[in-house]
Amino acid sequence: MASAPWPERVPRLLAPRLPSYPPPPPTVGLPSMEQEEAYLELYLDQCAAQDGLAPPRSPLFSPVVPYDMYILNASNPDTAFNSNPEVKETSGDFSSVDLSFLPDEVTQENKDQPVISKHETEENSESQSPQSRLPSPSEQDVGLGLNSSSLSNSHSQLHPGDTDSVQPSPEKPNSDSLSLASITPMTPMTPISECCGIVPQLQNIVSTVNLACKLDLKKIALHAKNAEYNPKRFAAVIMRIREPRTTALIFSSGKMVCTGAKSEEQSRLAARKYARVVQKLGFPARFLDFKIQNMVGSCDVRFPIRLEGLVLTHQQFSSYEPELFPGLIYRMVKPRIVLLIFVSGKVVLTGAKERSEIYEAFENIYPILKGFKKA
Amino acid sequence: MNNTAASPMSTATSSSGRSTGKSISFATELQSMMYSLGDARRPLHETAVLVEDVVHTQLINLLQQAAEVSQLRGARVITPEDLLFLMRKDKKKLRRLLKYMFIRDYKSKIVKGIDEDDLLEDKLSGSNNANKRQKIAQDFLNSIDQTGELLAMFEDDEIDEVKQERMERAERQTRIMDSAQYAEFCESRQLSFSKKASKFRDWLDCSSMEIKPNVVAMEILAYLAYETVAQLVDLALLVRQDMVTKAGDPFSHAISATFIQYHNSAESTAACGVEAHSDAIQPCHIREAIRRYSHRIGPLSPFT
Repeated sequence: MASAPWPERVPRLLAPRLPSYPPPPPTVGLPSMEQEEAYLELYLDQCAAQDGLAPPRSPLFSPVVPYDMYILNASNPDTAFNSNPEVKETSGDFSSVDLSFLPDEVTQENKDQPVISKHETEENSESQSPQSRLPSPSEQDVGLGLNSSSLSNSHSQLHPGDTDSVQPSPEKPNSDSLSLASITPMTPMTPISECCGIVPQLQNIVSTVNLACKLDLKKIALHAKNAEYNPKRFAAVIMRIREPRTTALIFSSGKMVCTGAKSEEQSRLAARKYARVVQKLGFPARFLDFKIQNMVGSCDVRFPIRLEGLVLTHQQFSSYEPELFPGLIYRMVKPRIVLLIFVSGKVVLTGAKERSEIYEAFENIYPILKGFKKA
Repeated sequence: MNNTAASPMSTATSSSGRSTGKSISFATELQSMMYSLGDARRPLHETAVLVEDVVHTQLINLLQQAAEVSQLRGARVITPEDLLFLMRKDKKKLRRLLKYMFIRDYKSKIVKGIDEDDLLEDKLSGSNNANKRQKIAQDFLNSIDQTGELLAMFEDDEIDEVKQERMERAERQTRIMDSAQYAEFCESRQLSFSKKASKFRDWLDCSSMEIKPNVVAMEILAYLAYETVAQLVDLALLVRQDMVTKAGDPFSHAISATFIQYHNSAESTAACGVEAHSDAIQPCHIREAIRRYSHRIGPLSPFT
């Protein structure tokens, strides 16, 4: 399905809305196919009108099929997946792309839901198939307060190969039927035109969470796999898991730092896994105050940049000491992000608490960098 | 990046002609550095040798004075505080040094946040590494500051004119380059004494000293060496500019007279002799710069 240009442009535009279009009415079982198709067409036409892209009908209609399964709430997501390789593929394409440029309300309320829904999906698939690696759903009650509302609605999105090695960025806004009873045309939040479609990719996310109970680090280190503890060097257990590939520092106070994830949901998921490990060791671990502390993204503008010019004209924001560090350090004020800009055209953005800050920062810097393009 | 494609006049670099007889030479690195600071594409080897000599002398002086200060304190190592103490009289240079230290701290902080392994390592090393240089500087200046001038420098946001000029020069230089040349230029700019720390240490003959500098002090020394080279290049360019007679300049007659006089000495003729790189800085420019501005060259210039 996906021809070459699609993964680049389509996902960013359409993905954010993809989940929203079949809004499963909360009570009724199955929206008719016709209804869904109608919604989809309406929605796509609006998108097409806005963006001048031909609405990609074929690939997107296929996802309609699994939705009824989700709505039924008893789905085996696997069959859903398997029966729709297209879906998977499409979604797989979306997975590497940011999906969070939604109107704020949607993002806010959905931010946690996709995670939960992902969990739910995983839990379900776990119970129904051996594919998922997660332990039983019982630990779901780890105390995530947000868990409550969206269970029934949450099955919509996160089918995309959660068992794939590529973790889909589960930023897909939950098709929360309560809030999206009708398809609201959403203006694209990401004006791609300026950036020629260059999207910064997240490289590292640092988050913290409070497990809210005192921990015996020695016990954890002894019983957990992949845990190191050297009290003389550092007063925390260092634990690693392979999926998502992350590292956690667990302190005896119950606080935990999780690093290395490539998306917010992965970070949360990883933190939950660590919490589960601790829980399984017998501690009454909870999952409080999960907070993303830092996000790092990087991208390539694909042209060489004349840093001497940049440092001269943006003196108050930049410092460039090539004998110290080969990149120019640019401290953007709004949003408050630090960018490392290299001669080769690579840009690293750090200091963000939210994904949108990274995108905004890049959009701000791109025209400036173009001005200093080294021919 | 070692400039292997040195000027055609490059003679054997290693030992001969060095008054101190040391076998370590930074001449090739210096050639790169001078290029990045505003010299021609292929700086002259002789110039580099001369610059090396000057910088070496300056640094040895500095080290000796720092060792004396350390001894006064009864310490066993030369610390950054000693160096800061020696530089306390020259506010501009001190401010530039402080800014450099802060930028170094800031850069480690940022780079640490990017790579998770770095983050872990830093946590593991346990010590409070963040802003350590800034803390050192602040604490020290706090302790010696009588009039409040030194501490005022931390809030000082004045533009550093010399740095500004260097930035502008670099900008002019790079504007006309194509991307291949620019890539080379950038590599030259990244060269510094701190990258060749062990060679730098040997060059200064630290091992034979009784009191040795610690890590941060070595960083500062490397920076001061680089600053000295930069200063020499700045002044030499100024001298060279002066030597060019300008039509309509009423004093050109006087200037060229000096120039000719300078040229008459046999040594200078050889040094400034006809060669392919006429736009490179000549040793005579450097010598003239030293003669004129000796009170300004070197990290401790107010002292000399």
